[in-house]
Amino acid sequence: MKNKIKFSKAHYDYLKKYRIKKIVVVITQISLLIALLLAWEFLTKYEIISSFFFSSPSKIVKTLKDLWNSGELIYHSTITLNETLIGFAIATGIGFLVAFILWYSSFLRNVAEPYIVVLNSLPKIALGPIIIIWFGAGSKAIIFMCILIVVIVTILNILNAFTNCDKQLIALAQSLGANKIQIFFKLILPSSLKDIVSTLKVNVGLSWIGAIMGEYLVSRAGLGYLLIYGGQVFNLNLVMTATVVLCVLASFMYFAVALFEKLMNKHFK
Amino acid sequence: MNELVNLKNITLIYQSLDSETLALDNINLDVKNEEFVSIVGPSGCGKTTILSIITGLIKPTSGEVEVADKSPNPKDGVIGYMFQRDNLLPWRTIEKNILFGLELNKKLDKNRKNYALELAKKYGLKDFLKKHPAELSGGMRQRVALIRTLALKPRLLLLDEPFSALDYQTRLELCDDIYDIIKKEHKTAVLVTHDIQEAISMSDKIYVLTARPGRIKAIHKLDFDANLTPFERRKTDKAKQLFDVIWQEIQNEKQDKI
Repeated sequence: MKNKIKFSKAHYDYLKKYRIKKIVVVITQISLLIALLLAWEFLTKYEIISSFFFSSPSKIVKTLKDLWNSGELIYHSTITLNETLIGFAIATGIGFLVAFILWYSSFLRNVAEPYIVVLNSLPKIALGPIIIIWFGAGSKAIIFMCILIVVIVTILNILNAFTNCDKQLIALAQSLGANKIQIFFKLILPSSLKDIVSTLKVNVGLSWIGAIMGEYLVSRAGLGYLLIYGGQVFNLNLVMTATVVLCVLASFMYFAVALFEKLMNKHFK
Repeated sequence: MNELVNLKNITLIYQSLDSETLALDNINLDVKNEEFVSIVGPSGCGKTTILSIITGLIKPTSGEVEVADKSPNPKDGVIGYMFQRDNLLPWRTIEKNILFGLELNKKLDKNRKNYALELAKKYGLKDFLKKHPAELSGGMRQRVALIRTLALKPRLLLLDEPFSALDYQTRLELCDDIYDIIKKEHKTAVLVTHDIQEAISMSDKIYVLTARPGRIKAIHKLDFDANLTPFERRKTDKAKQLFDVIWQEIQNEKQDKI
């Protein structure tokens, strides 16, 4: 619409209808959230459901304030956020590199296949005790857990994207004299961009799982620690508050990746 | 020597785990400079395999291959290949697609770039350079593919059924266009096709191949008036007679097999 073309009235009507549909969806989403929060608040206020077991929005807000004032909110959030981001970055990096190597060498790919299959089906949490012994009960162990959970899926997804590149395009590039590295950067990478971004999106979710699971196993700080601690002392306010914070942080990270996707699409369109 | 391609007694046996197949049997084929040679034959007769042997991507089991008096090397830039599909990269503009080969060969200097873009303009792609492949018709896209190949200034063009993915109308038009470009740029060409009329309309020489194993069944030298376009050639009586002859050769071949 940048190049000012005059559209017919029908087109403007169409655009208007489209916009109204969108606005209705957003309004419904917001009202649903408000309705749920109000219901939660009133049901617990009049003890129709127990505010001890279910906490309540007002109590969550109060807990949030307390945590903020004592500095604990920032403290615990930063720790978990750090672990997640580091785990995400390292796992994505390693995953990408391994996928590249396995794409490059079909020999290594054949050799590695059974190992990857086994590692993929193994529930990573089962390695908890080993990780604690190797890395001690601290952030290192948590980050390692996070990497373990993210890296295998990354390798599988990205390698799959790489090997699914159109064979005919590769034949063309070869006929024009391309070497394997050129084929990678000029063909494979641009044509797997969509899959890479969707892998990143999956990885955001997985690295939060990794970090929280790691904190469940070993930790004295972090949102996962707050959750476990809150559960043990039956402080449901704390559990709910930590969950809310987790939701907010995870969505921010997801939106960051979505924004990255938009930029990429613009660049490569 | 004015022979650009020379295949002598080429035999090719494909190996697989449970069998071996004789694909090509004693093929002798030569292409002179600026000659347009076609290879026709039933599907599965190894037409494309011959092109792969000329490019050097497949080594024959026995026999000699010479391209420009050397054994073929895909990297030396003598040969340009045109596929059935245009294989344009959808995320690149037409201009970037045309320059793709130069870019891969690290030859993207001003001269060569200008040459490629001049070709594009000369052959009707001027207004499309900044567009993406999806915005072009099939015939246009195939023309871009040819310009992309020509940008590397190959001496020999190998055309692997470049028209067969197009509708009939476009095919006839593009046939004229491509023939015109090849003649004007003084290129040598080898066309592989199953379309006998197409072969007759463009070639100086036609090799008729048998079904697997591919053997040379007949060689036809054509002497049409050089000023005729492929479309005009198709309409001559001579073309119709030749069509019948080649058609019969391929039919006989099929019956021999049964």
